[in-house]
Amino acid sequence: MSRFQAQTTTILDEELTDLRERLGLRENQKADLLRELAELASWVIRQAEAGRRIEARLGRDVETLYSPAIERLRRKQDESFAERIDLTDAEVERLAEILDRGFSPTPALRKALSRIADPQRRPPRLHWKDTAA
Amino acid sequence: MPLGIEVLGRHHRALLEDFRNQHQPLVDYLRRFALRHAEKDLLARTFLAIDDVAGSVRLAGYFTLATASVERIAVSSIESLNRLPGFPIPAVLLARLAVDERLQGQGLGRYLFEEALGLTLQLARSGPVSFRLFVTDAIDEAAAKFYERFRFSRLADEFPCRMVLDLKPLLDK
Repeated sequence: MSRFQAQTTTILDEELTDLRERLGLRENQKADLLRELAELASWVIRQAEAGRRIEARLGRDVETLYSPAIERLRRKQDESFAERIDLTDAEVERLAEILDRGFSPTPALRKALSRIADPQRRPPRLHWKDTAA
Repeated sequence: MPLGIEVLGRHHRALLEDFRNQHQPLVDYLRRFALRHAEKDLLARTFLAIDDVAGSVRLAGYFTLATASVERIAVSSIESLNRLPGFPIPAVLLARLAVDERLQGQGLGRYLFEEALGLTLQLARSGPVSFRLFVTDAIDEAAAKFYERFRFSRLADEFPCRMVLDLKPLLDK
């Protein structure tokens, strides 16, 4: 494990040094480099979170960014709604009880059903706390 | 004009920035994903509670509805469902419901829930498809207690907690 970490660290160091030099930063500016990279990564992630495709364009030449991180982000967003619900055994037992008990509404549900059916139903009158005198 | 319910559209974008809620994911969803899910991906539809007082228009709260289905294989041990064909059990998912934190405690959450339930019952009664379950994910204990008042039952003990309401008895009435 430690050998793996040492190798990984070496590769990362080399990549960071390469990037530092290409961005015109000196050897004692590693912190600046990381800050600038974080800013760039943050912008890319923000665009992806907003559902935008990240592309580099030069004339007719278009290169799209494909990255495991961006794909993970997309999957996470797409899974935000459970279109397909799988239940554990305990959840199935509880669902069975719910489906077997028939019509036994709580007072709040009775009131809600009655209000929904009322054509005269009105929304609550609201008072914004930041505008209250 | 008092409070009105409107389907989220592009023209509402400016209103979304002022929305505040103690649960940041509910704010983030509204600002970043709700419009995309509604107009581009067709995953869910969001309804806004628009408060218009003397021309000052503000977003008071919102809820999001989507479809969901419970896999039949997951509920094969439920006797009452064994008589049914092997299709997934259709459900409407109340995916999000949130009230601006400056308005909490004034009955708006209940009003929005009633709107969501009313739309769901209307769809289940007279829409082109039917639904057996109304499902939601309570974000915390306070939300779970809120939904329990309306006969939702918890399926799990952790949060977010999946909760269900059987629509069949309500549709039979």
